Amino acid sequence: MGPAERRLRVPAELGFLAEVRALVREAARAADAAPDGADDLVQAVDEAATNTIVHGYAGRPGWIEVALAVVGRDIVVTLEDGAPAFDPTALPDPDMRVPALVRGPGGMGIRLMRMATDGLDYRPRDGGGNILTLTRSLDPRPTEDR
Amino acid sequence: MTLQTTVEKAEGRVPVTIVQLDGELDGSSYEHVIATVRHVYDTGGRHLLMDLTNLSFISSSGLVAVHSSLRLMRGEAPPDPEYGWAALRAINDEVDSGTVESNFRLCGTQDAVQKVLDRTGLGGIIPSHPDRASAIAAF
Repeated sequence: MGPAERRLRVPAELGFLAEVRALVREAARAADAAPDGADDLVQAVDEAATNTIVHGYAGRPGWIEVALAVVGRDIVVTLEDGAPAFDPTALPDPDMRVPALVRGPGGMGIRLMRMATDGLDYRPRDGGGNILTLTRSLDPRPTEDR
Repeated sequence: MTLQTTVEKAEGRVPVTIVQLDGELDGSSYEHVIATVRHVYDTGGRHLLMDLTNLSFISSSGLVAVHSSLRLMRGEAPPDPEYGWAALRAINDEVDSGTVESNFRLCGTQDAVQKVLDRTGLGGIIPSHPDRASAIAAF
């Protein structure tokens, strides 16, 4: 991966999610990403950061660092934190056969992250914490996957 | 503040409470939306229109608020893993027979938000209208 073009470290608090989303949106716009891809990347990063705050740090103080880089025709977002090790990519998708009214949005975060990205990679961080890498092409998807 | 919530009343065939959400609905604001809808129901509101015309983003936390609103307006507690299998089956049957009561509707949903509703299956169970007038007329 090339050098990160943008980097932001925020306290692990839900009130900072808007700042993280704004950074991703701005970076996607600057990279001339397709609009649906930009929306998706904002979504995926928000879901990942929310997970870290709510489940990773679980109310304890902490930090999240977001770095964005354009690599070839992809935007690559790296999310680092110092929370206890947790691999969101190992979570199963919710059972979509259960009617939505019953199932509700539980577990939807990981589903949205998968649908909104082209690549999702996890590795533990040296010295503790987590590193999640989210990749999305700058180019529009051939068909919208509604 | 990433989200502004406005509550209004309208008279259609029935009294309709409109909750307008402006901004972004995320993990920092979804509980406020649930509290707002709970208050609407607790003070006698039985027909709720959520106006999403100016909502540009919804996260899965926001979907929890939408799903909870749907349940609250049905007179049910918000999702609770402890609630019984009998209730689950009853709702299942209702969904299967297409008789879910539509006392909760959405209007003005932007494409980016609709995509998220659809990806998670919620879009299919909540009636959605282009604007307030058509939504109010549908209650």
